[in-house]
Formats: sequence, C-alpha cells, structure tokens
Amino acid sequence: MTANNIVEFRQVTKTFNVGREDEFTAIRDITFAIEDLHGHGEFISVLGPSGSGKSTILRLLAGLEPQHPPTSGQVLVSGVPVLGPGADRGMVFQDYTSFDNRTVLDNVAFGLECRGVSKTERYSKAREWIHRVGLNVASDGGKYPHELSGGMRQRVAIARTLILHPRIILMDEPFGALDPHNRYQMQDLLVTLWREVQATVFFVTHSIEEAVYLGDRVFILSRSPGTILHQIEVPAPVRPAAEMQREAEFQEKVFRIRDILEDLESVKKNQDATVT
Amino acid sequence: MSEPSNGFRLFGLRTEIPRWLSATAGLFTVVASAALWWWTTRGVGEERILLYSQLPSIAETIEYFPNLWEADSPERHLLHNTLVSLKRVILGFGLALLVGIPLGVAAGCFAIIRSILAPLILFGRNIPIAALTALVFALFGTGELEKVMFIFIACVAFILSDTISSIQDVGERYVETALTLGATRLQIVFKVLVPLAMPMVFNSLRVLFGLAFGYIMLVEIIQESGGAGGLGYLLNMARRRSRPEIMVIIILTIPIVAWLIDQVLFVVQCWLFRWKYGREAENSGAFRLSRSILSLFWRPANSNSKAPA
Repeated sequence: MTANNIVEFRQVTKTFNVGREDEFTAIRDITFAIEDLHGHGEFISVLGPSGSGKSTILRLLAGLEPQHPPTSGQVLVSGVPVLGPGADRGMVFQDYTSFDNRTVLDNVAFGLECRGVSKTERYSKAREWIHRVGLNVASDGGKYPHELSGGMRQRVAIARTLILHPRIILMDEPFGALDPHNRYQMQDLLVTLWREVQATVFFVTHSIEEAVYLGDRVFILSRSPGTILHQIEVPAPVRPAAEMQREAEFQEKVFRIRDILEDLESVKKNQDATVT
Repeated sequence: MSEPSNGFRLFGLRTEIPRWLSATAGLFTVVASAALWWWTTRGVGEERILLYSQLPSIAETIEYFPNLWEADSPERHLLHNTLVSLKRVILGFGLALLVGIPLGVAAGCFAIIRSILAPLILFGRNIPIAALTALVFALFGTGELEKVMFIFIACVAFILSDTISSIQDVGERYVETALTLGATRLQIVFKVLVPLAMPMVFNSLRVLFGLAFGYIMLVEIIQESGGAGGLGYLLNMARRRSRPEIMVIIILTIPIVAWLIDQVLFVVQCWLFRWKYGREAENSGAFRLSRSILSLFWRPANSNSKAPA
C-alpha cells in the first residue's frame, strides 16, 4: 500500500483545452513517490527544458487551478487525493507576492490571522520567524514591501510559508530574480531552515547548480509533454553554497546533468521511448 | 550633445525639470492667456475685437467681482452658491459610493454578479447626459432630490465599472499566495482583493468627482421657480440679466474649486494608503501641509519615523 508516501503521483496527465484545436498536453504519465521518512523531509529539485511542465507538477500538488485537477491519474498527499489548495502545502513563487498593503510583520502573520490566531500570539510567532529568515525585527518588521529588496521580499515569503509548519513546501524558482551573491545566501538560509522544519520540498529551478546543491534527488523532465526521465541522487548540502559549488566533484555532477539537458534541448520531440 | 552644467535637459525624455522652471512655465501660460484676453477685449464699444456682450474685459470682470462676493442676497453670492452646488454633488456622489463600491467589489469577485449587472452598467455608462437631465426632471421635479439623483445616476455606473476592473486587476498571484496560506474565499475578498484594489478605485473616484462637479450645473440651470441656488442657477441669472462677467467668473472659479477638491482628496488618499504613496506623498506640497496642520493638534507616539523633506 501507499499510505507511507507523503507525495505520490500515479500516471498523472494534464491536457489543456481538451478537444479543441489548441489542445496541449503539459505533462504525460508522471509517476513517482516520495516516502514519508520519520523526522526527515526529502528535498526534490526539479529540472527540465522550458515548457516541460515543472510548474504544472507544483501547481497540481498545491491544488491551484487551472492545472488542478489532473486530466487523468491521481495526485496523492499522505495517501489522500488533492482536492484544492491548503496551508499544509505552502508555496513560494518567483514573483514577489508580498501583500503590498501589509507590513512585513502583518505579511508573515497572514496565515495565522486567517486561522483566527490572536493578535499577540501571531505577532510573537511572526517576530520569531522574521528573525529566523535573517531579517531585523525592529527595523524591518514595520516596513512595507515597496521598501524591501528582492532578497528581503523572498525572505518574507519564506517566513510567511514556514510559520504555518507545512508538511510540503513548493518553491517555483523562488531565487530566479536574485543576483548570484544573494542567491548563495538564500540557498544557505533555505538549507538551514529546511533542516530545522524537516518538510518535503519541491524546488523548481533553471539553475543546475542550485538543483544539485539543494536537492537530495534531482528530477529531470523531458521536453513537452513532460515525463520524468531521470531521478538522480545527489550529495547533501553539507558546506556553504558558495564554497561547495566550486568543488570539482560537485562540478562534475553538474556537467553530467547539463549534458542530459542539452541533449533534451537538441533532440526532436518524439522520444517517449527513452523514459527510464 | 553634452548636458547643461546645472544637470538637467530642457527636453529630457521622461525626466524631471527643476521646480522653479516648472513654475515659470506654468506662469507663462497664465500670463499669455491673460494677454490674449486683454488684447481681444481692449478699447471701447464697437472697436473691440470681442464685444462686451461676447466677452467682458479683465477690468470689467474684476470690477464686477465684489457684486458676487459681497452680495447681500445669498442667491447671488458666489461662495454660497458654490457650497450649495458642492453639497449636492457630495450627497449624490456619496450615495453612488454607498451603492457602487460594495456592488462593484461583489461583481469584481464573482462572475455571476458581474453578468447580472452588465446590462445596467452598459446603459448607465452610455446614458446621454442631456437626456438624463430631462429624465430626472420628469421623475423628481426641480427640488433637491432631483439634483442629488442626477449626480447619483450619472456616477454610479462608472463607480461600479471602475471598482470591478480595479478588483479584477489585482494580480492572480496574490490570490494564489493567499490560497496556499489557507485563506478562505471570504478572507481573500476582504484581506487581499479589497485592500489592494482600493487605491485604484480611489484614483478613479477623484476623476469622477471632478466631472460630477462640472455636471451639477446642468440641472441647476433648469430653474422654474428660483430659490434653489447653485452655480448653475447663478449662470442662468447671468444670462437673464445680460451680465457676462458672472459667466466668466464662474468659468474661472470652477477649475480652482475642482483643483482644491482634488488636492484634498489626494491628501486623504495618501493618508489612507501610506503603503502605496510613501514617496509620492513626500513630494506633494498639499500632503506636507496637511501633516504640518495635523501635527499642531496630534502628535503620534512614534513621530521619529520621518522628518519633512
């Protein structure tokens, strides 16, 4: 049985505009399972050519329309089909989605406010999380999003998600708009927080370095319609991002995956047969 | 081409020019217009390019002004009539807000309500304003109710449709973020969509209020049995008594009043939406003035945040 899987996709296919001229299959026949290990959340990086349905997988898990529901197959979380969005599956987007009318403190406290948690309690928790993502409670807590840099906004987004203790965290290129220096910092922060909260993370990215550094496993999707071509196990991020990503062993892994991706970009569409 | 040494270009694309230059340029237009006015109305009698009955001269207008400003009868008093008109606009517009904004929010959130209201909005937005004056006259006579209902009907469809599009323009990402943070549909409406849409709604309200203030005179002109006052009434009197000065004074008064109202509304907007107009507010003289006035009466506990620029 599958009750032991925190996430499971069973032959999931998503086709948009079924029966119309512009019918389009984003992902086809995706099957995988993430085991629910006690006290350890797995970190899954998702790589693939553009348009291969990486975001579709995330949004199916989040239960967000129009990707949800799947055209066929099942998306299960802890053995139960996903019916819609919920706070047990937090999501961080690439675009900055801090609520512009709320201060940092009120942004981070948003989810608790929706649950009806009292003001004193949610503010004290929010302050704790603002601190944990590396922001200054006293000087940043009262700021509005338009006063924050991109990196700070994503810290707010991460705090706002983690304060709700989701079992699953979905990240859709969250660091895509940041400069390299900021990106390393955010990667280190994410590793630290992830070790503390032990949630299952799905992390979509275009950066192979980022995928290899952060992930326990890297999923590589085929060209559209996406299927999972490879699942590669990679070493854990045991040293800081800027340091570890320079090491020869790490680089070799990155080059191997780059070769696979470049093949995918160049080879023609019909290659369903190569599914491993 | 090198930049001038004092650091701005006269025709720099989308760049700012110094405040003194901006003020001088504006003043130039005022002086030029006044000069044109003076030139076309100089001389006496038939020598003038534009006759007294067509356009009174600057001197004639200024000479007549005290008759309106110090008038014994409130019916002829400029300020009194301006306030009468303003009161009607505020009542009609306020009513339109009470109806238009809640309905607009509902329709912006739910397609079914939008579809139900769509025909009403189509008619309301395209109702010919001249026909509307006849309609409210037929329905409500010539009293205060007629004037308030005229402004209400003229504005409500625009408020509705602007509220709807402001709500719809809030990025879908914000809604999705709220969903993944466990917000319910009602919470998304009141904690995400409404607060994020309101600055846009307020922007269009400012424009509409200015228009409404211009419209009100259309119904004030139809005055069968005097007494109701308003700028339109004054205008009608000017025509009956052949006093073209009154017309000119009213034409000059309206933009000034409209500008004052707009500044007041902008200040209100800055205070309501500090999160959006932080920097813009600091550049506005009206906002800084309002803060200085406010600080005379009220000192916030955390007044160490920002000093006036």
